Amino acid sequence: MDSRRCQVRIEGTLLELLPERALYWPDAGTLAVADLHWGKTESFQQHGIPLPTGVLEDDLARLSAALTTTGARRLLLLGDLIHSRQGLTPAVVERLAEWRESHASVECVLVRGNHDRHVKTLPDRWRLDVRESSIDEGPFHFAHHPEPVSGRYVWAGHIHPMVRLGGRSDTLRLPCFQVGRGVGVLPAFSAFTGGINVSRRAGDRIFAVAGPAVVEV
Amino acid sequence: MPAGRPRSLRAQIAASRKALRAATEPPAAEAPRKPRRPRVQRASTRAQTNEPPLERLRGWFRAKGWTPYPFQEEAWAAHARGESGLIHVPTGAGKTYAAYLGPLADVAAHGQPGLQLLYVTPLRAVSRDVEKALREPLTVLDADLAVESRTGDTSSSVRQRQRERLPQVLITTPESLCVLLTHERAPELFASLRSVIVDEWHELLGSKRGSQLELALARLRHFAPGLRTWALSATLANLEEAARHAVGTGQTPTIVSAALERPIVVETLLPESVDAFPWAGHLGFSMLARVGAWLDAERSTLIFTNTRSQAERWFEGLRFARPEWAHLIALHHGSIEREERERVESGLKEGSLRIVVCTSSLDLGVDFGPVERVVQVGSPKGIGRTMQRAGRSAHRPGATCHILFVPTHALELVEMAAAKDALRRREVEARTPPGKPLDVLAQHLVTCALGGGFTPDALRDEVRTAAAFAGLTDEEFAWTLSLVREGSPTLRAYPEFRRVVEHEGRCVVADARVARMHRLNIGTITSDAVVQLRYWSGGRLGSVEESYVSRLKPGDTFIFAGKKLEFSRLQDMTAYVRPAKTKVTRTPRWGGSRLPLSGSLAAAVRRTLDTARHGDVTSDELAAAWPVLDAQARLSRIPAADILLAETCQTRDGHHLFLYPFEGRLVHEGLAALLALRLTRLRKATFTLSVNDYGLELLTPTPFPFEEALHPALFTRERLEADVLESVNVGELSKRQFRDIARIAGLVLPGLPGARKSSRQVQASASLLHDVFIQYDPDNLLLVQARREVLEQQFEEGRLERTLERLQAAPLELIHVRRPTPLGFPLVVERISASLSSESLLERVERLKERWTREDARSA
Repeated sequence: MDSRRCQVRIEGTLLELLPERALYWPDAGTLAVADLHWGKTESFQQHGIPLPTGVLEDDLARLSAALTTTGARRLLLLGDLIHSRQGLTPAVVERLAEWRESHASVECVLVRGNHDRHVKTLPDRWRLDVRESSIDEGPFHFAHHPEPVSGRYVWAGHIHPMVRLGGRSDTLRLPCFQVGRGVGVLPAFSAFTGGINVSRRAGDRIFAVAGPAVVEV
Repeated sequence: MPAGRPRSLRAQIAASRKALRAATEPPAAEAPRKPRRPRVQRASTRAQTNEPPLERLRGWFRAKGWTPYPFQEEAWAAHARGESGLIHVPTGAGKTYAAYLGPLADVAAHGQPGLQLLYVTPLRAVSRDVEKALREPLTVLDADLAVESRTGDTSSSVRQRQRERLPQVLITTPESLCVLLTHERAPELFASLRSVIVDEWHELLGSKRGSQLELALARLRHFAPGLRTWALSATLANLEEAARHAVGTGQTPTIVSAALERPIVVETLLPESVDAFPWAGHLGFSMLARVGAWLDAERSTLIFTNTRSQAERWFEGLRFARPEWAHLIALHHGSIEREERERVESGLKEGSLRIVVCTSSLDLGVDFGPVERVVQVGSPKGIGRTMQRAGRSAHRPGATCHILFVPTHALELVEMAAAKDALRRREVEARTPPGKPLDVLAQHLVTCALGGGFTPDALRDEVRTAAAFAGLTDEEFAWTLSLVREGSPTLRAYPEFRRVVEHEGRCVVADARVARMHRLNIGTITSDAVVQLRYWSGGRLGSVEESYVSRLKPGDTFIFAGKKLEFSRLQDMTAYVRPAKTKVTRTPRWGGSRLPLSGSLAAAVRRTLDTARHGDVTSDELAAAWPVLDAQARLSRIPAADILLAETCQTRDGHHLFLYPFEGRLVHEGLAALLALRLTRLRKATFTLSVNDYGLELLTPTPFPFEEALHPALFTRERLEADVLESVNVGELSKRQFRDIARIAGLVLPGLPGARKSSRQVQASASLLHDVFIQYDPDNLLLVQARREVLEQQFEEGRLERTLERLQAAPLELIHVRRPTPLGFPLVVERISASLSSESLLERVERLKERWTREDARSA
């Protein structure tokens, strides 16, 4: 395995935590990401706030890299794929259709998140298999909201977990995976997202995304 | 004095004194003389109906028993000649009428409908008193003139009426003026304007509020050519610059001054024993009992504190110390509901309240005739500020001002000794206007686009008539214009962006949502989102920062406006509370930076310490501080004016380096970042920086050879700007600066009630935006401006550069101490979380994670 990744074993199944802010399940050939917030920059621009474009391109490049290096056959999008209705400008829709085309052989499944409800139907050309609330697969329950489900281990997003390292003097704040006893939360995929600091509960393992590597802290 | 009024000099002075004493008393204090007034007025109106208005106003002046001061006559004459300028006299010398009667006479003589005279004041709370004062002389004029206010507090029905038709005389704030400028009929509304008076210009000059007002004045001069501008200012080191910025580059300002400085008597309340006196901190509670004993309910007193939470605690403490005065003591600060503040102000004027604990909220404005004494808790941090606050006592021309300093920690005694010395020498600070802030310009462009639209070339020339923007380059203007028009100066245009659009050759705003958003967000005073505080039973208490409320849990108790409250819930930007039944210990902490030590005072502190180093105890304050200074001398040395004292120390926290340049917090911030950067080039390390007004601390978790590194080359001015910029980029400084810039330029929408719901999807923290810009548009001029502002503040008239020059030439006194000294201790206590590192991210994570795990294990 790539030394930049971390492995966790849950319910006897091996999973990899990628520095691309993605979760990989090798046995199923499935890659999962959460909170992509496509078109967020464009939503701001629509409101008259002049933000530079570029986040989307970088996010897509990172997502492509994760797909390519893992060779995943399926991509699970765990909610908040889009940021708002206004952000889905023709250019954004077109760019994403193009990106989807470049990974045509990958099956894409979207579990709707709260932001996704702003739009009734997503563009056909994105070829997404849309699920309203969750997907159960193997020992796992994939959802947007990190709420425990009996009998299955939950993988979700929504809260954009961040970890604050250091003490009184030197501190760092990084996106992280929060792997708890019954629920695992993925970091927000998009670079243009804030987040909340997680506090470690008993049994939690925290994996920080530190630039090119994932580090358990 | 004009010719034809032969009077002896002595009689003149006596009359002027009397006149000015009366001129500065509030109308309420005039009551005993009231019966005489109508008689005189009747006489004057009957006898002089054909007199020119200024003569009549002179008559009104005399009828009140006043005689114009020479500077007042001079100001009226200069205005009559069509000049613009600045009137500089100390507070309480009658400058309001000096500025006002000339323009008023002019308005009366040319009685036309529509707005004629604009009176701009920095404080909206003041306007009611100003309104009263400005209405008074109208009685002798035939013209039917309306005097009204328009501020953020004006009701919407009045504002609606004013939008249709403005009064002849309008009192407003810079921000409300800018909102008026967004009116699509702005060119018509302001076409009839003849004069503008800017009150308390010294308060605006040094800030972006001043830059914004300069742009607004340039706009007004465009709408009403021939407009006369008169600014009023207290004492400043840079009066000529202040005058130029007030009148713009198109005319030469006339400066009218009067040497009417009042004597200031300063006393310091000394602690009984400095052994029990804290080395650090800022609340000063150990002095509470002594202040309580010193106060006298018979003598009305203002107690100034430096922060709002300090005011809350002192109010609470004084009521506890003197319960018998509970009904005589009040609290006044900017977050308290307006009605309550007004109640306190009038109580003070009437004499029903005797002791008011306040913040800078009472620095300006309102005449408090009866205030006899002023107390300053903690260092005043500047000489101009001390004079302003001291001037609050015995607010009469010529009268002696009294101010009592109350130190909050031992070293403040030194600051107070230094302040007394600097006051004696009248070393007043300058207020330096910011240099062409583009965020303010961006906001102004949208304002102009809304207010009738503009053509770029004409507006560029107009903007340059504002002194703050005189050096604006074509490129900078074009960049800012494209920021509001295309959203980006780069070739990557944002097709979806539309704030300002071009329509038939003019730049206008077409989108109603953009217009609404812009009007809501006008202004340059940036603060965190605030929430209203309300009782469950109804009744508003004021406002606190959202970040404070968000840390409260239902049931938590805190003190606000002197009341003990229990938080119950936050809903729609309102925090609901009920009276608390349990013990209360918390006080809200408001954002807002503490004032740094001014350059003048910092130099005085160095002088004072130098005398102490030589064993000269030149004042009571130094004598009182002696045990602490002596401890400093024993553990290390007392800093000399021309030697740089450095201390190294090892503690549980790591390896410390302390330096004491005594240049004020801002300069130290820049210096600390610069030195940390240069040290990390010598050897890989992470430094945590801490600064205060006296010095700076660099702390590193791993051993560092400070002794070798502290070479004069470390302080070189070579590559200074590049190094500062680099350190600023690595550190947090520019991020913090960017927050305000982003807000002013319209990149961040503050959480306003009403606007909030619709804009939730476009909320992002400024620090997140900063990161996005750094990565995707690093040359963005707003980023450049953030860095420049950091530089300007740190350079502060080249202060950082001069500091380096001084430090490089100064012999180094390096002392290894076993524990932090009296000077170092406050730096350890107040450590801020800024760090600068040359380690890689992964190295830091590896090092930090151990600590995190350790602390976590402890807390678990």
